Amino acid sequence: MSEAAKPVTLKAGYAADAPEPAEPPHRGGALTLAGVTMTFAAGRRGSVTALSNLDIAVAPGEFVSIVGPSGCGKSTVIRLAAGLERATAGVVEIDGRPPAELAQAHELGVAFQDHALLPWLSAADNVALPYRVAGQRVEHDRVKELLTLVGVHDFSDTRPRELSGGMRQRVAIARALVTDPTVLLLDEPFGSLDAVTRRRLNIELQRIWLERPVTTVLVTHSVDEAIFLADRVIVLSGRPGRVIREEGVPFERPRPAELLTDPRLHSMEARLVEALEAGELTGREA
Amino acid sequence: MTGVAGDSRLVRWAGGLAGGAILLVAWEVAGRTEALGSSWLPLTTVLEVYGDPVMRDLLVRALLTTAGEAALGYVIGVGLAVVAGSAGVLLPPLRGLIENAAAGINSIPWILLGPLLVLVVPRWIGPVAIAALAVFFAVFVAVSTGLSAASRVHQDLLSSLGASRLVRFWRLQLPAAMPELVDGLRLAAPAALVGAIFGEWFGADSGLGLLLITSMQNFRIDLLWAAALLGVAASLIAYGGFSLARWAAWRRFT
Repeated sequence: MSEAAKPVTLKAGYAADAPEPAEPPHRGGALTLAGVTMTFAAGRRGSVTALSNLDIAVAPGEFVSIVGPSGCGKSTVIRLAAGLERATAGVVEIDGRPPAELAQAHELGVAFQDHALLPWLSAADNVALPYRVAGQRVEHDRVKELLTLVGVHDFSDTRPRELSGGMRQRVAIARALVTDPTVLLLDEPFGSLDAVTRRRLNIELQRIWLERPVTTVLVTHSVDEAIFLADRVIVLSGRPGRVIREEGVPFERPRPAELLTDPRLHSMEARLVEALEAGELTGREA
Repeated sequence: MTGVAGDSRLVRWAGGLAGGAILLVAWEVAGRTEALGSSWLPLTTVLEVYGDPVMRDLLVRALLTTAGEAALGYVIGVGLAVVAGSAGVLLPPLRGLIENAAAGINSIPWILLGPLLVLVVPRWIGPVAIAALAVFFAVFVAVSTGLSAASRVHQDLLSSLGASRLVRFWRLQLPAAMPELVDGLRLAAPAALVGAIFGEWFGADSGLGLLLITSMQNFRIDLLWAAALLGVAASLIAYGGFSLARWAAWRRFT
């Protein structure tokens, strides 16, 4: 039932003539990775196993962060959930549908580590791109709203080349959110930013997300960023990536910036980092 | 900061102008002293040809004919190249076939084609066809490489947004191809002119190619020089114009 009805209900709020959607925002889909193994061919020498028998379940409206040592296949999780790769074994589904099907139905929002803005389009046109790719009428009010939300409204007509790194990532996040996706996938969106900009964008991402909470997976190598933003943090081992620790984040939202210096967050961070370090070692040995 | 960049650009321009001036003076001196033989005319003597109204009229008509043929051949060659290059990207199964056909066409020596065309098609078509042929391959290569120039992450983005092949082509591959394409268009512009002149050698009613041949046969060395110089000037102007377009394309699409 929900399979057929979902796309309609998703777009209904915006397809109507009313500029402001009155209905309560949807909470997004349920993302499931069950027994997922991902093996890449690596030249003549055989293959590399990036993920091994991975189980991750993200509930509708839940924000999950995934941390892990570099090369553990964190980004592969995002690529699988975005339908950009197919698992060698196991099941990847969103509301029981394969991710590629959601991509084709224009229901995914992805922000990549490299902002991936098109250099020949202005910030506003980059944010409007998902509408155009989907062949839908551009909701200019929604584009403007998103640009305002991420604080880039004054630079709507500016091309990416003339924006700072932080601005580009804001635009990329606005683009991922503009069509109100069923699942939001964030692949180290702040990985290339300096610490100060990164912290500011963490706080802004929380604010943006709270306006329209949707099922979100954030892959990051920063443990405090992972805790600050998520309902739950998942730690992956070194290659091949497996879940070695999961921890719910107990802090109430909205979380203030001061939380980042709170001892409770720090003790949680210390536990996760410890798991991360132990996992890195087992990963290397395996 | 901009001052330094501006200065170096100025130096380059000044260097280019000085180089050109030296070349022209050397040309004049070589002609006057007949250091390179009596057929090497001084620049001023060549320029005098343009002063003669009859000669000027002849040259201008020849240039217009050749430029028209080159332009038509250019449009046809570019059109075919864009269609063939795009088809190779939009219809992957046909890609190998199209690339082989393009390489095959490129391997036809024009010099064999010229006499054949004179026999087979109306006279004016020969130069146009050879101009189109001269243009086709360079632009085809530019289109093909340009259309696959989009970065991996942009391709991933379009995939995650559920772009159809046509949407991907229009929204990503085509704009990403523009700098390469304009590069190819720039290289092709002088080639079209050469192709048209070459085509005229095998039979034409007017044009720079015909003028070159007849001046040579009638030992009108001054007219020969004047026609050649005009061809060079036209070629340089075309190249310069496309250089501007290229500059604009790089600014717009990167």
